[in-house]
Amino acid sequence: MSNQKFLSAQIKRRTLLKSMAAAGAAAGASTLGLNRAFAQEPEKPAEIIVRAWGGSWVDALKAGVSDSFTKATGIAVRHDLTEDNEIQPKVWAAVAQKRVPPIHINWDTTTNATKSALRGVTEDLSDLPNLKNTTDLSKPVGLDGYPIVNTYGYVYVLAFRPEAFPNGAPKSWNDLLDPKLKGRIALYNDGIGFHFPAQVAGGGKLEDIPANMQPAWDFITKIKAQQPLLGEDPDFTTWFQRGEIDAACTISTNAREAKKNGINIDWVVPEEGAKFDTDGLWIPKGLPENELYWAKQYINHALTKEAQQVWLDGLGLPGVVPGLTPPADLVGDPSYPTTEEDFKHLIRISTKVQVENESQWFAKFKEIMQG
Amino acid sequence: MSAAPAGVPQQETAAAAAVSVKRVSKVFGDVHAVREASFDLPKGRFLTILGPSGSGKTTLLRMIAGFDAPTEGDIYIGGQPVKAVPPHKRAIGMVFQKLALFPHMTAAENVAFPLKMRRHDARTIPEKVERYLELVRLGGYGKRRIDELSGGQQQRVAIARALVFEPDLLLLDEPLAALDRKLREEMQLEFRRIQKELGVTTINVTHDQREALVVSDEIVVMDGGEIQQMAQPVHTYRTPANAFVANFIGVTNFLEGSVVETSNEAIALSVGGMRVKGVAGGTAKVPAQGELAAGALRAEQIRIAPTVQGFSGLANVVSGEVRDAIFEGERIVYEVVVPELGGAVLRVFDHDAESHQQFGPGDSVALGWNAKDMYIFKK
Amino acid sequence: MRPSRAAYPIRWRVMDILEQVAGKLWPRSFSAGLPYLMLLPALLLVGVLVWGLVEIGDSSLRTLDTSTFLMSENYTLANYQRALSERFFTTVAGRSLMGSLIVTVVTLIFAFPYSYLMVRTQSSALRKFLLVALFLPFFIGQVVRAYGWLIILGNQGMVNEALGLVGVTPIRLLYNYPAVLFGLVQYMLPFAVLMLAPAMTAIPAELESAASSLGANWISSFRHIVLPLSKPGLVGAGLVVFTLSLTDFAIPAILGGGSQDFIANAIYDQFFRTSDQGMGATLSLLLVAVGSILVGLVFMVFGAGTLAMGGDRK
Ligand SMILES: Nc1ncnc2c1ncn2[C@@H]1O[C@H](COP(=O)(O)OP(=O)(O)OP(=O)(O)O)[C@@H](O)[C@H]1O
Ligand SMILES: [Mg+2]
Repeated sequence: MSNQKFLSAQIKRRTLLKSMAAAGAAAGASTLGLNRAFAQEPEKPAEIIVRAWGGSWVDALKAGVSDSFTKATGIAVRHDLTEDNEIQPKVWAAVAQKRVPPIHINWDTTTNATKSALRGVTEDLSDLPNLKNTTDLSKPVGLDGYPIVNTYGYVYVLAFRPEAFPNGAPKSWNDLLDPKLKGRIALYNDGIGFHFPAQVAGGGKLEDIPANMQPAWDFITKIKAQQPLLGEDPDFTTWFQRGEIDAACTISTNAREAKKNGINIDWVVPEEGAKFDTDGLWIPKGLPENELYWAKQYINHALTKEAQQVWLDGLGLPGVVPGLTPPADLVGDPSYPTTEEDFKHLIRISTKVQVENESQWFAKFKEIMQG
Repeated sequence: MSAAPAGVPQQETAAAAAVSVKRVSKVFGDVHAVREASFDLPKGRFLTILGPSGSGKTTLLRMIAGFDAPTEGDIYIGGQPVKAVPPHKRAIGMVFQKLALFPHMTAAENVAFPLKMRRHDARTIPEKVERYLELVRLGGYGKRRIDELSGGQQQRVAIARALVFEPDLLLLDEPLAALDRKLREEMQLEFRRIQKELGVTTINVTHDQREALVVSDEIVVMDGGEIQQMAQPVHTYRTPANAFVANFIGVTNFLEGSVVETSNEAIALSVGGMRVKGVAGGTAKVPAQGELAAGALRAEQIRIAPTVQGFSGLANVVSGEVRDAIFEGERIVYEVVVPELGGAVLRVFDHDAESHQQFGPGDSVALGWNAKDMYIFKK
Repeated sequence: MRPSRAAYPIRWRVMDILEQVAGKLWPRSFSAGLPYLMLLPALLLVGVLVWGLVEIGDSSLRTLDTSTFLMSENYTLANYQRALSERFFTTVAGRSLMGSLIVTVVTLIFAFPYSYLMVRTQSSALRKFLLVALFLPFFIGQVVRAYGWLIILGNQGMVNEALGLVGVTPIRLLYNYPAVLFGLVQYMLPFAVLMLAPAMTAIPAELESAASSLGANWISSFRHIVLPLSKPGLVGAGLVVFTLSLTDFAIPAILGGGSQDFIANAIYDQFFRTSDQGMGATLSLLLVAVGSILVGLVFMVFGAGTLAMGGDRK
């Protein structure tokens, strides 16, 4: 009986969303795609909880998406700064035990989000009206429908302090092997972002991923001899600011953050290329109907041009809605790809391959680095 | 004060003496624990330092052992100054108040410890340990752990340990204080026997006057950090150097009054209006006529009888009334009120109760004593 | 009628009533069971622990399927095989064990004179100072302290700045194995001192005087008297320091610069980075096993009495 009720509610919501989509289209790129004329909108929760990365990341999200969402709907947004990899098992456990999950929306890497999608703990987001206005980048590759919506892309650049490179910016990842840089370079502690350029720098081919990655491991072994520091996003900013490192393979946002704090830092996409990846938003299964509805509205709102513009200005990253204006400091920057030509220098590997092999790559990277 | 012992020649003996303490003082903050103590102890002698609690006995002993440095003065052992010699380089065996046996070692290991530390030939050690255990009558107990031994046995292990390396000097800091009386008396004799057998110079600390009298060749009486008297036990007992010593050793009555007559050694006091005769005590100046003084009279020197008959030879005879009769087993102690002496209460011993007449409270009695048995000290 | 009743204070009567009620609820004949009742909370806690271990044991026998990110249905020993054969795990395990051993030894070496001085000093001012210096870091958490070291030992930190004054170019003091060990020793020192101090207090100072009068210089006295008698404290402190170091997470994570993982960091990665709960559970169980075996061995060698358990000090 209750099952039936649930079903009918779902149908109702579907039709509602469809009509809303029409209305949204009619209003052009209006704020929320949400018309107050529709009186049947479900009960509003007092707040919705969005898991986010801290520091400049959450500030940007708040300024671009959360604040305007609250303004339009009156629903407060709470940002849960639990690490993405720590929230994941909690959500998985909640879904497995049929509990209400601890968050409404997870801001996640596409790779991690895909794991959750494969495990079947994500809600389908195909019916978000604003998806129509987005570029291909928003669609996760190799998955049915939209268990995740990608919201922007980013590049794992080679960030460096110009003082340490008096002969000009580094051109190749091989430049990291300069003996002068021993103990002065940094990578992510699982090697994320570095595996693919390492494959090229080590003389291998991208087509061989994942079958033969020996060139990558050989190159990483050479890097190991340089005694790199290994850390996570906030570490890179700190290390640059404290003068602990001269170069790092990190997401451009972290380097840009240190630059904003007055540190002289620049970044390049070396000749071997740099990994391009995306982040996205998704909703865990098990939320009450009304909360699911409003969580979807939040993501829908995040896909509006206005929200994307402010949010991604903060992050300095290219969004998934056409026609965004890049921040002044990033026009023509390789970490802010906009044109075909820009993307040619970037390495994109299918999410499916990444998800299926990532833990082996991490393990192998760790084995080399911890040895 | 009469710190220098009477009749002991100075300087020359210093070299020959096993231990020589010269004007040693120790000050802890504002406490003067030891004040200008001096004495010489010839080789092979058994000296006891006797004194009430807090009189500085342990402090003096610790300075001799080298655990504390004197604030002033010097100590010589075997004629050598030991100021710069740390304890482990002094050949001194010490038995501590709480024994300080090593709980993680067996009796034999405890006794072997000083031999190992002093690098004795390892092959001779077991034999020597056994010999000393036998000396303290613990032959065959070597393998026992310390906590498997009785109090008295532990005592003996401590003694064997202190003696086994044949030290020049044995120091005993009230090691018997914790034992029950019977065992204590047994051990006192044991000490005496072993000390005589080995001929080791020994300094013993106690506040038990009986122990001091029984075991010692010499007794040093201390009070307030100062040496009051150094003498052989008989002399300490019979001819105390001052009122403190007289009071501290034995059961002593004190009669206070002003001096009415002095001629040579003989002194007469007026006590409660009655004239009492005695002799000058100690080495201090003889009190002058008119000065206040106290006559010290041992309880056993007073004769007691129903009447004054038979007391004709005694210089002092008084009559009084028994206030209390205390039965102590081998003797009876009477407390007698003497109105003639201003109501003074005298304690009197009566031995061999069977053959004498016994008195009860309220009985009238006569008391008498010789002038030479009452020592008069200036107040 | 009953005048004596009037003198009976009201409080006593209340107590009487309470006692009667208590007697009804808990008859005296039950009183033999009281000690067991008091054991109940402890048993409950142990029960929860065992239940958790069983759950972890179950997970450890399942592998991760990366096409669905679910744990396998059937049981296999594959995780254990990986844990014992893959070089990464053996490296990390070796590093943790060796590191904990070094940390334990070094900590005990530092803690011993510290507690000795604290217990034996004549000056109460010094004793107070030592105690405060010991407890202060207790109020500052482990993570905060580790970050403190980042600031002090960093490339632009106080130490390197001081070295710069004498013309030394900044040297890397952080993000290596010695930095992790240093951080652990600093973190463990108070624990060790706190476990050692009571054991030392129990050694009468007179024993040392006795040893010296018997011919032992301070080294011999230390070796033959103080050290053997401190054994219970040393074993206890050693066990605590070793197990805490072996299972530590924060110090290797923060001071190790990512390349000095201990077992706990590897477990974290399995649970939270590669989402492989099975492997994480396996590593956890192995860690518990290694820790328990070592504690068991120590008890076998030194006897449980070393921790002042049981009457005899063997
Ligand atoms: N380490 C010290 N610091 C301060 N005062 C001390 C110290 N050792 C002893 N004293 C003081 O010195 C005086 C003599 O002490 P000592 O231990 O020598 O007495 P003692 O004659 O051995 O007494 P007892 O018969 O009670 O053992 C006492 O007043 C004592 O309080
Ligand atoms: Mg004493």
